[in-house]
Amino acid sequence: MKKIKKQSIPGLLGKWQQEFTVFVPSKASGVSQMTVWDGKDTAFLDRNRNTAIPPKANFLPAMEKLFGFRKEAGSYKLEPADGEPPRQLLFGIHPCDARAIAIIDMVFKDAYEDRYYLSRRQNTVLVGMTCTSAYDSCFCTSLGFGPADPVDVDIMLTDIGDTFLIEEVTEKGKELLADAKGVVEATRDDEKKAAAARESASARVSRKIDTGEISKRLPLVFDDQEFWEKISAKCVSCGICTFLCPTCYCFDINDEMLRSDSGERYRNWDCCSFAVYTKMPVENPREEKWRRVRQKVYHKYLFYPELFDIIACTGCGRCIRQCPVNWDITQTLSNLPAGTPVKK
Amino acid sequence: MAISDISHRKRYLAEGNVYLPHIAVIEKIIDETSGVRTFHFNFRDEKLKAEFTFESGQFGEYSIFGIGEATFCISSSPTRRDHFEFAVQRVGKVTNALHRLGVGAEIGFRGPFGNSFPLDYLAGKNLVFIAGGIGLAPLRSLIWNALDNRAQYGNIDIIYGARSPQDLCFKYDLESWEKDSSVKMTTTVDREAPDWQGNVGFVPAITEKVAPSAENAAAIVCGPPIMIRFTFPVLEKLGFTPAQMITTLEKRMKCGIGKCGRCNIGDIYVCRDGPVFSYEQIKNFNSDEY
Repeated sequence: MKKIKKQSIPGLLGKWQQEFTVFVPSKASGVSQMTVWDGKDTAFLDRNRNTAIPPKANFLPAMEKLFGFRKEAGSYKLEPADGEPPRQLLFGIHPCDARAIAIIDMVFKDAYEDRYYLSRRQNTVLVGMTCTSAYDSCFCTSLGFGPADPVDVDIMLTDIGDTFLIEEVTEKGKELLADAKGVVEATRDDEKKAAAARESASARVSRKIDTGEISKRLPLVFDDQEFWEKISAKCVSCGICTFLCPTCYCFDINDEMLRSDSGERYRNWDCCSFAVYTKMPVENPREEKWRRVRQKVYHKYLFYPELFDIIACTGCGRCIRQCPVNWDITQTLSNLPAGTPVKK
Repeated sequence: MAISDISHRKRYLAEGNVYLPHIAVIEKIIDETSGVRTFHFNFRDEKLKAEFTFESGQFGEYSIFGIGEATFCISSSPTRRDHFEFAVQRVGKVTNALHRLGVGAEIGFRGPFGNSFPLDYLAGKNLVFIAGGIGLAPLRSLIWNALDNRAQYGNIDIIYGARSPQDLCFKYDLESWEKDSSVKMTTTVDREAPDWQGNVGFVPAITEKVAPSAENAAAIVCGPPIMIRFTFPVLEKLGFTPAQMITTLEKRMKCGIGKCGRCNIGDIYVCRDGPVFSYEQIKNFNSDEY
């Protein structure tokens, strides 16, 4: 194992900046999110909390241009915006968010490759950070990993005071640290400290759900309208839980005219909480709110696992923390009625 | 159920980019009813024009630049490739804009997407087509496909209904099928109308009256959801098994390739895994939102 003093991190980021656009967690814009490092900020070295806006935005921006169009003498010219994106390095990503990206990779890789998403993904290096200050709403340890696991990152750091212990997870990670200034071999004492930090990080995640029991019960309660009506009663369909969810990837496609003869097609995040999301001229399969809430829960905990063999939730807790009416997915999942007969 | 493999499907991606449309040119416009128009189109690119193929049942994402995209099935038959067709009911933003287009106008096209009618399964069978209103659009692709390969199929029954005589789409097709002695054509309208000598009644009721035999047959049904919901039980009564009943489902779509999320019914995506399903498959969906 290796280590680096926190005071040496700006130097390391500076070196990486020559090759990558370096993003760090920052509250500079008012909302914490991955932000391009300004070369000075060091607050993120000690403020080890999850960002409000998940790093999925670095791969699937809230709004992105797909192509531009221009009409010349009655004929259209299209200019795709799918060029090689800049290489980016995300510093301080937590295990829940790194896992979330690996989860949504599956959709964007499936059948028809989504080059907008995938090219960003391929041009990205992830430097993970053991999450030592989980929120009460966090429940990652119920989803098959923990706040200290080096899942789906290239390098993993663990805070041991004025120093980070370094795990080189991938070959790419090893290369990045090859001749980095300030990176030295860790001592046995450092490793002990890191082990203790990891243990206490895991212990902080006190909220638990039983995913085995949930996957058994979900197929039985799909048709229990009364239950879903009760569960969804206080939801105001604001959509914040999906926008801030690191595994929610749904999007809309829209056009905008910029001049009389030209414009852009772009895509933007969309949300299954909105009735208009599925609305057709005559029918709407999810007009009723309880169906939309049910869809969100099932997509994450039953449909996605059916297709890709993994639950599309990483227990990051954002949907619980940011909900204006305190709707809580762990409460819903823990209170699923057992053995309601399926009516068909 | 793991995600299904669709890698065998033919694809024509513009510059390898699945979100980038091909430019297509409107070649002809036919007024079907007061609110429905058929557009004949072809690709601006000569090479694509020569190469493009699809299967009956597949759909495209059609766009008017500056307005947006909308989903329509390809309503012409893959056996007739000198141009391609889609039919549009004027209901929203994109469809209204489409209705304002003239011949020569350029649109965007992405596709073909989705699965198709199971030709292997249908081969050698008696085919019973049951359609309502603009629901004839996807079926007419398969009907012409079957008629152009007439020897491969048994009897062909077509039952088609609309609200009124004025609402019957593809009247030129209806006429031609009436005249075809190898087709048993039944046309109906919901209510009595002046100068209408044909059948009067809803499609499910007329289907019950026509009573097509289920023996070595397949029923292909498309129309408003309410018509489909009432037709399946009639077919069951006539002896059709759920596997013998095939339909094509409609959902709001955007991407057309199973990514944007909105067209799911449980763990299936209508754009990716459909739109064509047997009633047997539908009954096994893990959701009732079809």
